[in-house]
Amino acid sequence: MSRILRHSTLALLAVLLFAYGTVIGPFTEYMKHKPVEEKLGYLPSINVLRYASADHKELMGASLVMKVIMYYGGVIEKQQNKVMVQPPDYQRMSGILHGAVKLDPCNMDAYYMAQSFLTWEVKQYKLANDLLDYGMKYRSWDWMLPFFAGFNSAYFMKDSKKASEYYKRAGELSGDPLYFSLAGRYMQEAGQTDLAIAYLVAIVKGERNQAVRKNYQTRLAAFKEVRRVELARDRFKAARGVLPATVEQLTQGGFLAPPPVDPYGGTFFLEPDGKVSTTSRFSFAGVQNEKRQNSGESHERN
Amino acid sequence: MKQIIMITLKGIFRDRIFQGIMALAVLFLVIPSAASLSMRQVTELSITLSLSLISFIMLLLAVFLGATSIWKDIERRYTFSVLSLPVSRPAYLAGRFLGVALFMLITASFLGVLAMIAIKAASFIYPSVRPVLWSAIAAAILFDALKYIIVVAVTMLLATVSTSFFLPVFGAVSTYLAGTITQQVYDYLQTSSAQTEVFTIVRKGAILFYYVIPNLSGFDLKIHAIYALPIDVKGAVLTALYFVVYTGIVLSVGTLVFARREMK
Repeated sequence: MSRILRHSTLALLAVLLFAYGTVIGPFTEYMKHKPVEEKLGYLPSINVLRYASADHKELMGASLVMKVIMYYGGVIEKQQNKVMVQPPDYQRMSGILHGAVKLDPCNMDAYYMAQSFLTWEVKQYKLANDLLDYGMKYRSWDWMLPFFAGFNSAYFMKDSKKASEYYKRAGELSGDPLYFSLAGRYMQEAGQTDLAIAYLVAIVKGERNQAVRKNYQTRLAAFKEVRRVELARDRFKAARGVLPATVEQLTQGGFLAPPPVDPYGGTFFLEPDGKVSTTSRFSFAGVQNEKRQNSGESHERN
Repeated sequence: MKQIIMITLKGIFRDRIFQGIMALAVLFLVIPSAASLSMRQVTELSITLSLSLISFIMLLLAVFLGATSIWKDIERRYTFSVLSLPVSRPAYLAGRFLGVALFMLITASFLGVLAMIAIKAASFIYPSVRPVLWSAIAAAILFDALKYIIVVAVTMLLATVSTSFFLPVFGAVSTYLAGTITQQVYDYLQTSSAQTEVFTIVRKGAILFYYVIPNLSGFDLKIHAIYALPIDVKGAVLTALYFVVYTGIVLSVGTLVFARREMK
């Protein structure tokens, strides 16, 4: 290579490196702010994927689940840091996870992830339990799926009979007497908040994803506060014969100390029937909506 | 024939393509940390990634080394000098095939050991609720190797009739893809909707195709290895028998064709 050619090549390389430095910043920024649909990607028909993935169906299923975990983890981390973001695209997430379990019906991450948002966030309890029922056919050894389904039936769907069946199955698979006791307890219409706390404690214990774990811990802290208010309310009623009208009555009367704190940033209040609610609706997005509307609407806990 | 097997093995291990493809094995190092992204099944994900990586490496090896071995010999005119020795054409073809098959088994064993180390590391850092079924993992890797040996056998048959590089290479890829979905197509054709929606001639043609091309989905035991599900021994024995018989037929046809091939 002649000297001129070598110098020209080096000059060209320097220009290209400079151009790369100029382009990479805006390119990274563009990728960071890509629309949600593009980040989750457009999923072709699951039948096409099944054929296209040849003998790597489990890998394809795992990569779809991972895509949802990454996306959801990113959004809730921003919400926890009080950064204003669009709410997650739950419908799209659900579609991808349903596709993933068609490729790998044993993928536990898919069921776990779907359970985490189809219930609390989207309130699609039947869809969640249908998915769990599908998973139970394949993960026949796993006590967690009937445990989730039992909780959904008991807490959200108020179906004590079904809840008892699921908890019984969870008990048989795990050998843990807790689930048998939950099965029995739920037949006696045990307290809803206690049930939610028991569920969340079990979930937090096994959660490894930091963002999701923190999300559950926040919800658990909120429910523990609700339980404190409920106990104070019951003590108030026992002492005075009537239900308190406000949470302030409980704190001023010495029934509740210290005052309850909603970790989502909302304010606890009592419904006319004595039910404990919060203005946050147990989500950071709820507080943002409340601030936007500034209407002071009350919302039910569920 | 023993010498041809040994020469085949030595040739492949010295091949730069082999060394390049095997460099992919470095990815085993990142499997434990990649698997840790899972929320509830770290060990299962590490097994999924390990088995898929092995399968991908074996596919590349089958396509770029197994499928081209006969074609390269003919192209470089090595066959002339070899066949001028007291070696029959069938013995030459069988030696080449057995050399590649042995190479695939050795490579699968080596990659299997690496995979087991990666899985052990992942399950040590994040213990799994369900115990790892090592025998199922070993069986999945062995059957994966058998699957790619069938692919090599089919491509060697193609190489005996082809004068081009493309037929063996694209034949290997097509055989792999068609072989992994043929069972799904067959299952679909047995459904009542297919009976009414698909033309009879198309259905019969597809079923004939099902019996002609290799059925590779039976060799996929990944789900058993990943979720520690017991392997059906009868099914595994039948699959192994299918491997022996199918490979034998393909090689016999290849030998007949190769014996009649005119070398120029």
